[in-house]
Amino acid sequence: MSGEEEENAAELKIGDEFLKAKCLMNCEVALILEHKYEQLQQTSEDPLNQISQVFEKSLQYVKRFSRYKNPDAVRQVREVLSRYQLAEFELCVLGNLCPETAEEAMAMVPSITTKGRFQDDYAIDKMLNDLSMIKKFE
Amino acid sequence: MHVLLLVLYDPLKGLLTITYQLIKIGNSIARLLKYEILNEERSLIKRDKMFFHIVLERNMQLHPRHFGRNLREHLVSKLMKDVEGTCSGRHGFVVAITGVDSIGKGLIRDGTGFVTFPVKYQCVVFRPFKGEILEAVVTMVNKMGFFAEAGPVQIFVSNHLIPDDMEFQSGDMPNYTTSDGSVKIQKDSEVRLKIIGTRVDATEIFCIGTIKDDFLGVINDPTAV
Repeated sequence: MSGEEEENAAELKIGDEFLKAKCLMNCEVALILEHKYEQLQQTSEDPLNQISQVFEKSLQYVKRFSRYKNPDAVRQVREVLSRYQLAEFELCVLGNLCPETAEEAMAMVPSITTKGRFQDDYAIDKMLNDLSMIKKFE
Repeated sequence: MHVLLLVLYDPLKGLLTITYQLIKIGNSIARLLKYEILNEERSLIKRDKMFFHIVLERNMQLHPRHFGRNLREHLVSKLMKDVEGTCSGRHGFVVAITGVDSIGKGLIRDGTGFVTFPVKYQCVVFRPFKGEILEAVVTMVNKMGFFAEAGPVQIFVSNHLIPDDMEFQSGDMPNYTTSDGSVKIQKDSEVRLKIIGTRVDATEIFCIGTIKDDFLGVINDPTAV
């Protein structure tokens, strides 16, 4: 119980910090971490010792769950999604989970229908369609 | 207690004290309400993503033997060693440092020869939030529920938060299976789950998740491949 209270208090504190911060999709994190991993292997003579467990686990995780492997595709995803006036975190969730239907998208990101950004399911479907096209032509 | 005593002792002063106390109570109630409303607003804004790119600041202490032309390099490598892989309740796990923005002027500590430098750096952090939906890999299944891992974070899904039609099956590969056997959760399954609670320690973040909601559950069955 006390843990929950602490977390809430912490959330109140960090709120702005994280809202201002740039959100990253899994595929973007994968690119960053892989780049860093290569760099580490080149520079240090003992690369295995340098890599923290957190780094290793994160890399495994994002590699397993990133939908787009190709750097150009990753850039395109962000570009396409940013056309739809999405908030940073909404953009990332959509990019990560790649929902297939408008209904699924609304369940994943309930805030998507607020602020009148999407008039109907059709508009959301169009966006999701754009996303799947990138995946198809990757 | 002392308020009561004051009423007996000095009626005017007592009355004032009581009013003052009442105002104080009123204020704290107002503050509480405001806090509630704020919290509610925040929970409405689903803050759904856990990898962030943020700028952090840290005071680094450097031993005088590193002073010289490689000072900056020493400072950066020490920063990476100190910070990467750590976890704080506030920022979550620091996964990787991607760049150093600025290194401020050093300050010599009294008594020791150490110098403190304020360093601003960019890093990728991993921070799970309540209400967030993410994908995770199942690591352990038992009759209480199952554990899943999303990067460095452990998530526990209790059997109360697994759909009712899924039954626990023991054996050498314990799993949760629907009655018709079409869906199976076992070790190495990939599941999509929603985080409903987090516990933050100084060095660890632990989450409770659920798969009892629309569009949650298994996304990839290792045996099916």
